[in-house]
Amino acid sequence: MTDNPYLYTLLMAGVAVLFIILSCFALGYLARGIARLAGLSKVKQQNTFAGYFFAAPWIVGFLIFVVAPLLASLYWSFTNYRIPNEPVWVGIQNYARLILEDKEFRGSLVNTLFLTVIGLPLQIGFALFLAVLLNQKMRGERVFRIAFYLPVILGFNAAVLLCWRLMLNASNGIINQIIRALSNGFPPFGYLNRAIIYIVEVVNAFFLGVNAGNFTMLNKVVDAGFPAANRVPMWIQTALWTKMSVIILMVWICGTMMLIFLAGLNNIPKELHEAAEVDGATPWKRFWKISFPLLTPYIFYNLVVGMIAALQIFEPIYVLYRDNAPLAPSAYSMVYNLWRSTFRFNEIGYGSAISWLILIIIMVVTIIQFRLQNRWVQYDLY
Amino acid sequence: MKTTLHITGKVFLYVLLTAASLLMAFPLFWMISTSLKSLQEANAPKIVWVPSQILLDAYRNILSDPDFLRSYFNSTFYAALALVGTLISIAAVAYAFGRLEWPGRNLVFFLMLSTMMIPAQALIVPQYVFFHRIGWIGSFNPLIIPGYFAGGAAMIFLLRQAMAQIPKEIDESAFVDGASYVQIWWYLVLPLVKAPLATVATFLFIGYWNNLLGPLIYTQSSDLYTLPVYVAQLYNINSTTQPWPSIMAAAVLTTVPLIIVFFFAQRFILESVVITGLKG
Repeated sequence: MTDNPYLYTLLMAGVAVLFIILSCFALGYLARGIARLAGLSKVKQQNTFAGYFFAAPWIVGFLIFVVAPLLASLYWSFTNYRIPNEPVWVGIQNYARLILEDKEFRGSLVNTLFLTVIGLPLQIGFALFLAVLLNQKMRGERVFRIAFYLPVILGFNAAVLLCWRLMLNASNGIINQIIRALSNGFPPFGYLNRAIIYIVEVVNAFFLGVNAGNFTMLNKVVDAGFPAANRVPMWIQTALWTKMSVIILMVWICGTMMLIFLAGLNNIPKELHEAAEVDGATPWKRFWKISFPLLTPYIFYNLVVGMIAALQIFEPIYVLYRDNAPLAPSAYSMVYNLWRSTFRFNEIGYGSAISWLILIIIMVVTIIQFRLQNRWVQYDLY
Repeated sequence: MKTTLHITGKVFLYVLLTAASLLMAFPLFWMISTSLKSLQEANAPKIVWVPSQILLDAYRNILSDPDFLRSYFNSTFYAALALVGTLISIAAVAYAFGRLEWPGRNLVFFLMLSTMMIPAQALIVPQYVFFHRIGWIGSFNPLIIPGYFAGGAAMIFLLRQAMAQIPKEIDESAFVDGASYVQIWWYLVLPLVKAPLATVATFLFIGYWNNLLGPLIYTQSSDLYTLPVYVAQLYNINSTTQPWPSIMAAAVLTTVPLIIVFFFAQRFILESVVITGLKG
């Protein structure tokens, strides 16, 4: 071992490459031996060797970094394993604690539900809106497309998220400064702003109530009535707004969904629109009667992927709320909760149980969505 | 009548498109603008769109901070080393799936696609234990070396699709001429899939450059912090005014490589998202 971390890693990378090449040969020879025993022809034996030789990095990596960890964590999830102690079998204690006692885990579930029910439709809707705009095939479409996709690239870099932290500051952040200026200069906007604030706070208070088991916060918000004229959103300052800030970020990073919708719009046969236009259908009607039904498979895809992504949101919560202990639990995602619960005290057993619950939730959600899709997704018009 | 409607419609569309673009790019503009402001202007209660006087103090500050420079080097080291190994191994595996016929290929391919369902974070806890046992915590190894085992099923898929489209006769004639599989892969196939390789490289680079959770868990000592970890802790909740110009100068310098890479690769990226996104 060397003391220089860079040399050490270079050395280890070399060892890893050597190991991979060796395993390529080992797997190749093994496969060829089996092919010979099975009585395959010479050419087929050679192909078998080559196939396993080239696929070996993935096969070996799959065993070391996926299969083994999954099995190990399944076992550890039934133990009280905490580094550096040895694991001791405790049965379903971890799972019982998670489901019955752990308030933060339940909170992360409710938060994810919130992001899925409130945030995902906004995100998908905005992505669809942008895709429809781009699909008008205007000149300079490429530039707009780049601008819309740029947030995906920058997206979850901590540096860019810090800029959001600056912009979302409730007192002198640029977003609230603009909202104040618009509300003062243009009264209807002020009413709209206050109405949105009211709705957001009621909905958020309801979800916080579900999480806490009592609805005093909701009562307080409702009793306070319609927000005063000088109110602005409290983005990252109160528990009523923490999740809305994350939703703003989700909507901002909708570029991938937009590109998928754009592909869907391109796949719609032009004749359908032309025929409808001849019959005198307005663009609005054509969108809802032709484009939208044909886009349902793409909406479905974005829904599945978006829901799984909502479980895994980590960076925004880390950058926006990490150091704000009283506020942070109102925004925890499931993966953030996993990181916190596991690595604060190296509680491997407990963390394994959370990992497996996340895995099971993802599987169940995906299966349910695939079951439900027949009811509303149209595939047959293609 | 119809043409005037058409023109107003077009103008309206352009206004919408421009407004949406400005909205999406606004954080970038704000980052740059703030990095050039004075501390007073950055924390001013009134809107200051652009600094009244362009100040480079923030950049001078951050560039003279050895911690920032070290984390910049760390990020570059990590991203470069991880990128090379991951790209080569992915290219090898994609070749096996896309151009070679071998018993069990479809089963292995199906397994690979199904790993896309498993969120990486669900594996983080047991992988951490594994790296802990072999003494790799507190080094870059856990960030870099797993990629060498062809990490990233979606990327393999993307490259496989590209390789499968090349006519098979090319390989066969080279094979008859006595070329080995490795030679065919390296000298014949890879040069034909340069664009998809560039796409994969870009995606991998962006993923590594933005990675926060991995470095947070594995590096542990501040000597090894990568940029996202370092930049995230520049915001200090205990102080009343944040040094926003310096923080944003660090943020600008962090995002510059991303923007350069995206600028050169945007043509490939915008097309390939659809391939992997939909068929994956």
